[in-house]
Amino acid sequence: MSDPGEALANAKAAADRIVKAKRLNACLTPPKELRQSLQKQGQAAHPSGVLYGMPVAVKDNICTLEFTTTCGSKILAGYRSPYEATAVAKLKAAGALVAGKTNCDEFGMGSSTEHSAYGRALHPFDKTRVPGGSSGGSAALVAAGAVPAGLGSETGGSVRQPASFCGIVGIKPTYGRVSRYGLVAFGSSLDQIGVFGRSVHDAARVLSVISGRDPRDSTCEARDPLRLPTVPESLQGFVIGIAKEYFPPDLDPAVRRACDRAIRVLKELGAAVREVSLPHTQYAVPTYYIIAPAEASSNLARYDGARYGPRYDGALDLRTLYRTTRGEGFGPEVRRRILVGTYVLSSGYYDAYYRRAQQMRALIAQDFRNVFDRGVDLLFTPTTPTPAFKAGEKLADPVAMYLSDIFVVTANLAGLPAMSLPIGRIKGLPIGGQLIGQAFLEDEMIEAAYALERMVPGAEDA
Amino acid sequence: MSVTHEEVLTIARLAELDVDEATLPVLTEQMSRILEFVAQIGAVPASESAKPFVPGPDAVRFRPDEVKPWPLAFGPDKLAPAFRGGFFLVPRLGQFEEEDQ
Repeated sequence: MSDPGEALANAKAAADRIVKAKRLNACLTPPKELRQSLQKQGQAAHPSGVLYGMPVAVKDNICTLEFTTTCGSKILAGYRSPYEATAVAKLKAAGALVAGKTNCDEFGMGSSTEHSAYGRALHPFDKTRVPGGSSGGSAALVAAGAVPAGLGSETGGSVRQPASFCGIVGIKPTYGRVSRYGLVAFGSSLDQIGVFGRSVHDAARVLSVISGRDPRDSTCEARDPLRLPTVPESLQGFVIGIAKEYFPPDLDPAVRRACDRAIRVLKELGAAVREVSLPHTQYAVPTYYIIAPAEASSNLARYDGARYGPRYDGALDLRTLYRTTRGEGFGPEVRRRILVGTYVLSSGYYDAYYRRAQQMRALIAQDFRNVFDRGVDLLFTPTTPTPAFKAGEKLADPVAMYLSDIFVVTANLAGLPAMSLPIGRIKGLPIGGQLIGQAFLEDEMIEAAYALERMVPGAEDA
Repeated sequence: MSVTHEEVLTIARLAELDVDEATLPVLTEQMSRILEFVAQIGAVPASESAKPFVPGPDAVRFRPDEVKPWPLAFGPDKLAPAFRGGFFLVPRLGQFEEEDQ
C-alpha cells in the first residue's frame, strides 16, 4: 500500500510541469481545468493500485470523462464523450491520473502533429522541428519530463515514429491486445492504443495495465493482461532478424551507424543475428495509404453536423448542412484522405486499388510469418529514416510526409507488436531503433528492449 | 493516375464534402500525386489466391449479411413515448406555442 497522500502530491507536481511546458502546445486541456481535475483525481485515486499516483497524458482521440475529446479537430470542438475508453478506465482503476488531453494530428492523420486544428505541437529539444505524429503531443510531454508516461494511438506508426523523434520509448501492441473501445475510429482494422514511457519499464507497466480482454470490443483478444518480463542478464537464445529492405543504400549514414552500434550490442548480449528478407516491404506505404483512407472515409462519415460537434448554421437543406459542416469542420489532410478513400472504394476503382491493397496486405503479413517460421524471434530495424524534420518541411508534399512512416506501417498492416527505443542522437536529435515481435509475444520484445536499453548509449551521438 | 477537377468534385459529392473553388487546383494536384504513388502496388501481379488479411482474434468471424426486420435490439415503438401504426407521435407545434403564451 502506497502513501495515501502521494497521488495528490504527484497530481500537483504533474499539473505544474505540464503548465510549465505550455510552449510545446502539447497539452490541449486549459491549465485551470487540468489543475482542478488532477486534484480531484489525486484525492480519489486508490492507494492499492499498481500505477497509484502515476500521471498519464492521454491523446485527444481517446475518450475520457474528465476532459473534452476533440481528436485535434474543429468538427469535434468542445465534444464531451458520455463514456470513457476501456484503456482509460483500466488506468484509473490501477490508481493512475489522467493528466490532460494531448495534441495530435486531426483524427490521427499525420506524421508531424502539424495537422491539428489547435496549432502544431513543438519538438521538446528544438522548437523549429516537429515532435512526430500523430501522437506528437503525448510524446513531447513525456520527453519533456512533464509526465512519466502517455497514451497514444497507432494506425500507421503514430506512437513509434514520435517516440523515435523525441528520444523516448513507444510501444504498439499486437492488434487485439488492448481494447479499442473508446478510441475514436480512423482505420478500424489498423487502429490500436499504444503507450509512451521515458523508460522501457514505465511504458511496459502502463501497457500491462491497459491490456487484456474487453467484452465491449469484439476485436480484443480474450487473453489475460500482459505479464511483465524480468530484466534479462543476456539475450542468449534469441534470434534477431535484420531485414535488408529496412537498410536501403540511401539510408541516412548516421541512422545506419546508430543501428550498427545497436546490432553490435545485441550480439554482445548473446543474441544470434541473422539477415532476412521481407520482399514486399516497398509496397507497404502505398498499401497503407489505400486501406487507411478507405476505412477513414467510412468511419468519418458520421461527422455530419447532426450528431456530434458544431454545425454550419446557414444550411437550407440537410445535404447542404452535411457538406458545409464537413467541408468547414475537417482540415486539409483529413479532407484529402476522405477523398482518396472514397475514390479507391468507388465503382470502377475498387478492384484496382482497394482489392489489390488487401491482397498486398496479405503478402506483407505472410512475409513476416515466413521469417518467424524460420526461427527468428524478433526483427530489429531503424524506426525512422531520419531524425525529426523541420516544421513545414513536408506540409506541401503529402507523399513526402507519408514516406516518413516507411519503416513503421508494416507492423500495423500485419497486426504485429512493435516498439521504438532510443539508440543514439544525430547532432543532438534523437533517433530510435525498432523491435518487431510475433503476435502476442510482447513479453519477448520487451525483454530484448530491457537488455538493449541498458547497454546502448541512447543519449550519445551516433 | 491523374484526376481532373470534375472527378474531384464528383468524389467530393459522394463523400458529402464541400470543396471550394480556391482549393480545387491544389487538391486535384495532390490527389493525383497520391493516386500515382499508391498505384505502384499494381506492379505486382495480382494473386487471386491471396485471401484478404484480417487481424485480430480468430474467433472474430464475419456475420452473414442478412436483413433483419429491425436493425435495433428492440423495435422503434420502444424508443418513443408514443407510437402508432408505424409512426412516432410527436407533439403538435401549436401545443408549445400555447404554453409560451
